[in-house]
Amino acid sequence: MCELTEIKISMEASAIAVHDLHVQYRTRKGNHVDAVQGLSFSVSSGEIVGFLGPNGAGKSSTLKALMGFVQPKSGSASVFGLACGSIESRRRIGYLPEVAMYYPYLTPLETLTLYGELQGLYGTPLKREATELLDLVGLGAATRKQNRTLSKGMLQRVGIAQALLGSPELLILDEVTSGLDPVGRKELRNLLKDRQRQGATLFFSSHELSEVDMLCDRILLIHNGKFIEERRLDALKTDLRHFALTYSGDLVLGELACASSVVAGRVQATFRDKDLLLQGVQRVQSSGGTILDIIAQEGSLEDYFVETIGRAA
Amino acid sequence: MKAALPLAFVGLGVTSYFVDAVQPQLKAVVAPVGLEAHETHAGASLLGQFRTNMSSWLWLRTDLYLHNGVEMRVLSASELKSGEKGVGTSDKEHWDAESKLVTIIPPKERDFRGIFGDIERASNAFADMKGHAHNGPEKALPLFRLMTWLDPQFIPGWTVGANLLGRADSDAAVSHLREGMAANPGNVEIMGDLGRLYAGSKKHDYEAALRYLEPIVRQKHDLTKMTEDQADALQDAFRWTAMCYRETGRREDQVNCARYGLMFFKDDGVLKRLSSVPSLLVNPKLRAVELAPNHLESKQESDPSHDH
Amino acid sequence: MKIRVWKALARSVLLDAVRRKDLWVVGILGFLIVLCAGALGFFGFAGLEVFAKDLAVSVLGGFSTIVAIMVSSRGMTDEIKNRTLYPLLARPISRFDLLFGKFLGAVAATWVSFLILAAMTGIALSIFNVHFELVTLQYLVLKMIGLTLVCAVGQTLSLVMTTSAAITTSLIVAFGSTLITRALGMGYSSASPEMQGLFKVLNAVLPQYGLFDIGSRVSYSGWGLVPLWVVGALFAYAAGYCAFMLILGWTKFNRQAI
Repeated sequence: MCELTEIKISMEASAIAVHDLHVQYRTRKGNHVDAVQGLSFSVSSGEIVGFLGPNGAGKSSTLKALMGFVQPKSGSASVFGLACGSIESRRRIGYLPEVAMYYPYLTPLETLTLYGELQGLYGTPLKREATELLDLVGLGAATRKQNRTLSKGMLQRVGIAQALLGSPELLILDEVTSGLDPVGRKELRNLLKDRQRQGATLFFSSHELSEVDMLCDRILLIHNGKFIEERRLDALKTDLRHFALTYSGDLVLGELACASSVVAGRVQATFRDKDLLLQGVQRVQSSGGTILDIIAQEGSLEDYFVETIGRAA
Repeated sequence: MKAALPLAFVGLGVTSYFVDAVQPQLKAVVAPVGLEAHETHAGASLLGQFRTNMSSWLWLRTDLYLHNGVEMRVLSASELKSGEKGVGTSDKEHWDAESKLVTIIPPKERDFRGIFGDIERASNAFADMKGHAHNGPEKALPLFRLMTWLDPQFIPGWTVGANLLGRADSDAAVSHLREGMAANPGNVEIMGDLGRLYAGSKKHDYEAALRYLEPIVRQKHDLTKMTEDQADALQDAFRWTAMCYRETGRREDQVNCARYGLMFFKDDGVLKRLSSVPSLLVNPKLRAVELAPNHLESKQESDPSHDH
Repeated sequence: MKIRVWKALARSVLLDAVRRKDLWVVGILGFLIVLCAGALGFFGFAGLEVFAKDLAVSVLGGFSTIVAIMVSSRGMTDEIKNRTLYPLLARPISRFDLLFGKFLGAVAATWVSFLILAAMTGIALSIFNVHFELVTLQYLVLKMIGLTLVCAVGQTLSLVMTTSAAITTSLIVAFGSTLITRALGMGYSSASPEMQGLFKVLNAVLPQYGLFDIGSRVSYSGWGLVPLWVVGALFAYAAGYCAFMLILGWTKFNRQAI
């Protein structure tokens, strides 16, 4: 485990603040494409926020606007209260691009040394941190191989290592798990959780909903460049969770159950939360019914995602 | 655009109909009978191309060598028309050619570029070349030796090289041309120059000159198959042969040769003078026919494009 | 701080260029050609010193220009195409820092290959007793300044066109600017006043790369050193032209969405 320098926790209320952001691109034919349309959200310091949306939703464009790679058409975006894209704001960000290549003829160590020097790190401390980070992402044995000889997954690890370089306060990661195997994903999860514990804020986009599920405090959902929904993940999980009660007896549950049906003489009822379930159990027992089975079912984030996007479309 | 594809298919179909009929004949015609290795082998051909290109590049550099690096160019037609004059040379023999030359880097009075022109004149190999002299030809000789070594069929390498050599050392020039003749047997330009060197002001060995000149003028001549340089060399050969006959007292041969030459080069003043010796009693028609192959005679007379 | 950033970028470009095989192919090819020229003396063609020097400066000038164009012209287009630009610009550096650092890297790579090629050429020719005069040092210095100019043009072109187009245009500009200037000079006296004005503008705008090649003074004997005011003027011109090119490139790049 590398010795990470203590991350300075900033005093600003929001690590990221976006208000009515519009990003527009011009195609080669001269047409305009609205990639982001009036997006507003904020990310607090120390949070892990997942940025979700289908392909072409405008996730990468938003992240690029936060990095200053594209100039917003209108609206505002700031990082720790600093204008997005400014040198000062970038000093506090570690960024992993969606698809990034690294100089093919440099080694991972040379690559990290280059980025470290651009970050303002020098000499032995830089070399030590670069080596430790490469060990941490599992590239300890490949530090002196040229990037062109590395696999896609290994290059993604180089990318993660460079994003973590200099212990940035905010990590903006675009498709962070892309190209990683299950072991790599687990290692990455632990790594990012460690960073959060040290005070870093994480804002990342991903199509891997299981990763989002395991990492995030909150999710932001966008579609066609527009904001759809923002949910705390624990609340969402609670919302998605439901209980199934199977009993024999009369249909007595009424409004307590969100759904009831009779199959082969048995009543199957579904409850949205535990309190309603307990009330339901009491009502069945007091009416002389017999409880046959109670099952707690976790809701699927994927179903939620598909359903919500479907509604928005 | 949409119509192009069906048309292409129709074209292919029509072509394929004829292919079977044509193929056997094509195969018969292109059989590489008698070709040298350099014409059939890709590697040898590539090497050959490199050699000839290198040789041509060297040819272009000789001018620079003679001017010690000062690049020259010929005045354009519009420049000549507007009355611009070349730099000329102290070498009277080459005055005509050099009087149309100017330096590529223009002198200050003809340069619109201001300070850029001043810098180029100060940093490059530039000199005021008015009435300029040339470097000793020996400076360029290694180039000629190299270019003829690279490409023995490059005739100007032999002839111009010998010309430069001959200014200082006519024996060396003769030796150079003999090497060229060995590589290009029967070449009109090389043999003509050899004859001229022997007959010229330094050697005056007319019998030796005739050994090279006579075979040329006695060859079958078809000017339509000759390059401009070869035709010029042939014309010179007629003149020198006739003069050699004159200098050795063979007046009859002189007149006959000159008259035969006039059949190819009707307006040549030198040949006309050499062909009209009043005191001579000869049968010119007879001798001319003896010298000339019959089948060429009538063709040359009827072809005005060969007037020089 | 800035200098460290530029140095880091330049070093990465240099490392990348040195490890690419095409740079070495150019070097080895040039060395072989010069060696062949020198070897002719071994086969008995004495008196070819001028030819050998002429060929040497032509090879040096030609190949080093090609290297300069190859390294500088693919600088920015490849960064954008290969998406290596994102992690770079995610760092706290300005886009000008990136441009300038990469420019310095291209210049360093070109200079290194030029000096290696020059050293190989010198060694190859000295084996055959071909000696160079003092003006050769001036040639090397002025050529290096000229190559810097080519790098600036190549990099700026790489910001407005594809790599292959930038390479082709740079080759035309580098090798054709002298020819164009000569043609303008030939046509100037017979041109109309409007055309003469245009010729002057073209002459001012085109990079005067040919002025930095004093190879003819090296090959042919007796020309002596180039006056110092000329060296100074060429240095000032190159500095001004490079600055102009970099600012032009930065103006475009700074507004560009990536």
